[in-house]
Amino acid sequence: MSDRILEKLEILADAAKYDASCASGSAGKRSAGKNDKGIGSLTGGSGICHSFTPDGRCVSLLKILMTNFCIYDCHYCINRKSSNVQRARFTVEEVVNLTLSFYKRNYIEGLFLSSGIIQTPDYTMESMVRIAKSLRVDQGFKGYIHLKTIPNASPELQEQAGIYADRLSINVELPTQVGLEKFAPEKSLSNITDAMDHLKGKITEAKESKTLSGKRAPRFAPGGQSTQMIVGADGADDKTILKSSFGLYAKQKLKRIYYSAFSPIPDASKILPLKPAPLVREHRLYQADWLFRFYEFQPEEILQGTNDGMLDLTMDPKLAWALRNRDVFPIDLNKADKSMLLRVPGLGVTTVKKILSLRRYTKLTWEDLVKLHVPLNRVKAFVMVNNWSPPPALLEADRLAQNLTPPEQMELFA
Amino acid sequence: MTVTVSITSIPGFAEWRNEARKLLAAQVPPQDIAWNNEGDVQSNLFTDSLKLAAKGNIPNVPRKFMELAETAICHSNPKRFALLYKILWRLLFENKNLLYLTTDNDMMELQHMVKAVRHDAYKITAFLRFREIQHAGEEYFVAWYKPEHYTLERVTHFFQTRFKNMRWSILMPYRAAHWDLQNLHMEDNPNPDLYPREDKVEEYWLGYYANIFNPARPKKGAMLNQMPKKYWQNMPETKLIPNMLRTAHERTRDMIEKANRSK
Repeated sequence: MSDRILEKLEILADAAKYDASCASGSAGKRSAGKNDKGIGSLTGGSGICHSFTPDGRCVSLLKILMTNFCIYDCHYCINRKSSNVQRARFTVEEVVNLTLSFYKRNYIEGLFLSSGIIQTPDYTMESMVRIAKSLRVDQGFKGYIHLKTIPNASPELQEQAGIYADRLSINVELPTQVGLEKFAPEKSLSNITDAMDHLKGKITEAKESKTLSGKRAPRFAPGGQSTQMIVGADGADDKTILKSSFGLYAKQKLKRIYYSAFSPIPDASKILPLKPAPLVREHRLYQADWLFRFYEFQPEEILQGTNDGMLDLTMDPKLAWALRNRDVFPIDLNKADKSMLLRVPGLGVTTVKKILSLRRYTKLTWEDLVKLHVPLNRVKAFVMVNNWSPPPALLEADRLAQNLTPPEQMELFA
Repeated sequence: MTVTVSITSIPGFAEWRNEARKLLAAQVPPQDIAWNNEGDVQSNLFTDSLKLAAKGNIPNVPRKFMELAETAICHSNPKRFALLYKILWRLLFENKNLLYLTTDNDMMELQHMVKAVRHDAYKITAFLRFREIQHAGEEYFVAWYKPEHYTLERVTHFFQTRFKNMRWSILMPYRAAHWDLQNLHMEDNPNPDLYPREDKVEEYWLGYYANIFNPARPKKGAMLNQMPKKYWQNMPETKLIPNMLRTAHERTRDMIEKANRSK
């Protein structure tokens, strides 16, 4: 490798860092077979985080752009046509070599390849597919490949991408057509969701033919699709963003949605805000997203908690729900079903699992909660166990909210 | 009467299991045993295996216990042998549901050890770095890693699967694993100097690491949470962190000021 490649790597990694997605989501297990000359494996479960950068993000994949040249002019994007940023382009071989060299040293789980649009969407998509194909077919690479697909590329090319990739993603970036028109004039929301629908069909087809015929269908993006939305660049409020998310999870069967608080970029477009969006807003959106995906909350229950379309920045949405619905508490931890346990502020999915398992053999007491490291101050008004039931005044107190949202919580995100 | 039992191997699972079987057959209760693994591998060579008269049959031991024991035995705490025997005893003669009583004090200690070992092993698969050398005209990859527990045995399968067509050695202070494309060969107390001082690709990795960081949102605490400083010695990129943090604020301010001036 040469100095020129190092310089390109620096430019094209820098250009990729505004994509929040880092994880190599679960795409099942895989490794090189007995006489296979290939390299790599997927361990099942979510991928390994091989490092962490000082922004707290995990480094799991070699996340780069194939090129940051672009014919589009999306205002929020550092690589838009009108930006003065330094440009570079990798060849197919260069990306393949970098990926393998990094993989062999145990730096990464695989490749996350995205790209600016050069010449035409089809031309760009085809070059990206060639990289994925070369890794899979020529090199026998069994590690993770995430390709960012281009919504305006032909369905045939997107299908090829799905054959070689473990996960495909198309970034929505802005949740409304109005927002897209203003900030990403070449993009359209219906093009994006159409492309997602098409891929969803292929992914489901590959999964189902496996079970029906008994034979393995060719793999097609077994890790599913993901997307990203930018928070705080346009005027979309939390309610709009979340509604759009819940729709994408339900209709397009997305596996994961990333929220990225708008953060200033070099040589920014003049219509962008100058200030970054508060990271705590991004955090609350993730919490709301988790309530929907892991805590059995209905979209309406979460959206009801918005005020003027915004989530409360001072407390997490689960606590906010509990305070609005005090009449369902206190909950008896020895009797309540799983969905109610999940609604107790301070009980996470893992703790709920432990409680369900433990109570089959013993009656839970306050001491058990101490040993399970349950945050006692947080739960005490909401739960009953064998030797504890909260005095009614505790749950009714106006000061409950105040007691449960310590001021230092805000400073964490300042 | 106290029975003294010596475990001479590291981490010592097979040996512990044999001794525990004999102790159970002789019905020796946990409080009558002194478990001893003071010396290292060499100094206990002459210890005789335990001779005890069997008094009865050994009840069946649940598979779940054996799995937990095999993991916990890799913990560096010398108390592990005694704790495992005590739990085994209580499981067989006191409460058959003991393994599910996750708030029992002994069980909490066991779970704590199991968790620490699993965590340590996971971090090896994440943070270990190979460096490449040329050996007999072939690529050869060597890593040096300092685990907190005796976890090499728990990760060899991962590396054999992932890098099965690569020749590699993983060196740890207490042991090394060498893979020659066919067989895994273990070696005690390897020479740490075998770890190469440099690697031709490392510069690219450092370049990548520095540029994937977004200076507008430093979150040192979140990073340290996942990657505490004790791991940094294993990872070449960590030497960049102090400077990345020091200049983050300034870089962001410059960027915003530049944007302001152009508006």
